[in-house]
Amino acid sequence: MNHTAAKNDSGETGLPKVLLVGNPNVGKSVTFGYLTGSYVTVSNYPGTTVEVSRGKATINKKLSLIIDTPGVNSLLPMSEDEEVTRNILLDEHHDSIVQVADAKNLKRSLTISLQLAEMGLSFLLDLNLYDEALSRGISIDTKRLSEILGVDAFTTVATRRQGMDKLLKAIEKPRISGFQMDYGVRIEESLAHLEELLPESYISKRSIALMVLAGDATLTDWLHEKLSPAELERVEVIRRQAEVELRQPVSYLINRQRSAEIDKIVDEVYSVSDTVRGGFRNWLGNMMMHPVWGVPFLFAVLAIMYLFVGVLGAGTMVDFLETQFFDRYITPWSTKLADAFIPFEIIRDFLVGEYGLITMALSYAIAIVFPVVGTFFIAFSILEDSGYLPRLAVMVNKIFRLMGLNGKAVLPMVLGLGCDTMATMTTRILDTKKDRIIVTLLLALGVPCSAQLGVILGMLGGISFNALLFWVGTVSGVLFLVGYLSAKVLPGDASDFIYELPPVRLPHMKNIFFKTIARIDWYMREAVPLFILGTLTLFVLDKLNALVLIEKIASPLIVTFLGLPEKAAEAFLIGFLRRDYGAAGLYALQRDGLLDPLQTVVSLVTMTLFIPCIANLFMIVKERGIKTAFWITAFILPFALLVGGVVNFVLRATGVDFK
Amino acid sequence: MDKNIEEILELLWVFKEHGIPARYDKIVAKSKVDDTSEHLAEMDKKGLVEISGDQMITLTAEGERVGEGIVRRCRLAEWLLSNVLELGKDEWESTACEFEHILSEEVTDSICTFLGHPPACPHGEPIPRGECCKRFSKEVTPLVMNVTEMRPGESGRVVFMSPKNHGRLDKLSSLGLMPGAVVKLHQKQPTFVLIIGETSIAVDHEIAGEIFVKKMECHD
Repeated sequence: MNHTAAKNDSGETGLPKVLLVGNPNVGKSVTFGYLTGSYVTVSNYPGTTVEVSRGKATINKKLSLIIDTPGVNSLLPMSEDEEVTRNILLDEHHDSIVQVADAKNLKRSLTISLQLAEMGLSFLLDLNLYDEALSRGISIDTKRLSEILGVDAFTTVATRRQGMDKLLKAIEKPRISGFQMDYGVRIEESLAHLEELLPESYISKRSIALMVLAGDATLTDWLHEKLSPAELERVEVIRRQAEVELRQPVSYLINRQRSAEIDKIVDEVYSVSDTVRGGFRNWLGNMMMHPVWGVPFLFAVLAIMYLFVGVLGAGTMVDFLETQFFDRYITPWSTKLADAFIPFEIIRDFLVGEYGLITMALSYAIAIVFPVVGTFFIAFSILEDSGYLPRLAVMVNKIFRLMGLNGKAVLPMVLGLGCDTMATMTTRILDTKKDRIIVTLLLALGVPCSAQLGVILGMLGGISFNALLFWVGTVSGVLFLVGYLSAKVLPGDASDFIYELPPVRLPHMKNIFFKTIARIDWYMREAVPLFILGTLTLFVLDKLNALVLIEKIASPLIVTFLGLPEKAAEAFLIGFLRRDYGAAGLYALQRDGLLDPLQTVVSLVTMTLFIPCIANLFMIVKERGIKTAFWITAFILPFALLVGGVVNFVLRATGVDFK
Repeated sequence: MDKNIEEILELLWVFKEHGIPARYDKIVAKSKVDDTSEHLAEMDKKGLVEISGDQMITLTAEGERVGEGIVRRCRLAEWLLSNVLELGKDEWESTACEFEHILSEEVTDSICTFLGHPPACPHGEPIPRGECCKRFSKEVTPLVMNVTEMRPGESGRVVFMSPKNHGRLDKLSSLGLMPGAVVKLHQKQPTFVLIIGETSIAVDHEIAGEIFVKKMECHD
């Protein structure tokens, strides 16, 4: 898990190392992108960077290694992100550290500055987002701040590159802050005792002693490695004594002392003129999470997304690419070319046959999936950067509470509507293992990805609005039920919902563009090979006549239980390789008149709940481990078929046919 | 009143609260007081209890009133000691037992008002309402209240926090929510949103109820 602290110096040895640290959502990734020229995902909500990024940059004509870290609120770790960042400071030497800070949130930024000062590290303070501070009437005396802390401080607007040249010049010459705090006699006494026992490392003994005293459990492994059992025992005794005598959690006392010290600094250097406050963006932010207006706002967002992704992407663009581009040009041309130049029938079939590389794999990938996924990622990026998603979390917190989750889980769930694989990776922003397992399960079970969703909406839209409502109702009902039950079954308490809301920001078109490109690139690299693999599998099965055999074997289940035509088995089979691919298979069946409306609904419900695509499965294995992945699969397979069967019987028994 | 009699009254009141019939032998066995039988006889004489032929003890109206007062003092003291002074469990349990015998009615009501009329003791048992609580809805505003009792738009200075675990406390304080900070309640529905300086934080109802503030004059 903690591969981040590993010393992967190979090839990078000798380069000066520059580390970026700071609170969440203050612009570390933007700064990283500016320095290195490479793009890492930037969003307007805390916790976008879940992994450490490394990139090379030429700073003042010297090649340097830049390291971007997950955002932290404190270097006393309380989450996995914070632990990752603290460990980098603890285990690696850095030539320079840039603390990227939110200028308008000076108090919280200084919490980290003081901790860096305590660690005895040389750094500089980059007060970013200075435009937002100014627009709120905030001004900061950087000169005085610099004097107090003993390090250089700059104001910047990284997205517009303001002030970055000054920062660049100073990166080479960071200073060690001389700022020292006094935690009171009792704590200082324990610190002195602890410092005698602690080993040398890249950060000061005093700072480690403070972590130990605060009861930082994430340090346990590190201490075990460095200290003898007898020394460990003494460390524990000192810690426990302090805790007993102080009668309050030591971490709390330390935080309080720091906070008091920070208040003093802030009073001196920070001032707010209350002339400019509120404004339109503030008002909009309030509307987004208003108990009444938040609901129509959500529906408006959904409607716009539907128009953009469903109508423009899945409708107009797919139509154009499929009928104009593939049906009219690519398919006939490549068929002609193959007929003319390839003498072997089998190779011709492989390229342009029924399950051909060009006729099936490429046309699905480019004509159907690409426009849908592309438009979704644009829409999602805009939502992300606007600051809407955390406010949506506020709206749905109570509903998610019933599923043992909290509002934060809405982020991976919405992203899942784009790509479940990507969303499974994003479950890392959740606080507990239980939350992550439940969300992973729900994503795999019933959150259709955009490609699949596009096809599904197209198919259901062709039947009736009631069919669409029935599908939405059944799938969300099943999701809710499974979430509710798994929250009861899985051990562990419900996690706290304490969530910082970022300010509403106007998305930068450039960032939206790069982010969408990066995501599509990732998607295509990951999806297209699987499309080809899927087509290849089908092609081989078809040539060996195994397809007919599988359809025969599955037919009792498919035909009797689900009431579908035998050929639907094929769609489910490809559905395992990619769910969207499977949905596209069903689409073809419906178009050929092989599915009546009732069969369409049954097959879509089953397909939506069916096993995740192979890429998602790989990601579940990677993130949750093979055991959890196995149980998730073992549950979903029969369960999806069961729900499909129940829907089939209920609909037939009640005589609903959606015609 | 005799301290031992108060202890027995408290016991009888709690029995009644939980709907357990107060059989004579059971009360004598449960009581931590020496010579319980003699005290009971005295209480019978004073008109605090009635002992029926089938060995059942019932509180008279007067006995019930006194018993309720004792339980109220005890549970309020527990709340004060555990949540405000943050003493360890053993300590607040034993100290609260002493408090119940010495607090006057005025002092009890002051403590209750200061704490914002808490509904239940740390064990989760309801705290009997006093005169001050009945008045509270109309006249008296508590000195200290938790965030759920504030109205949207109001601001308060955090006096203390009593979260269920240290992790929660650390997380809140790293976001700037700690004693001394000024909190503005932005909204209560659908989820609590608090504003501290330039930071907006959404929290569960439960967590908001653990943050106690002293209300400030409105700015807006």
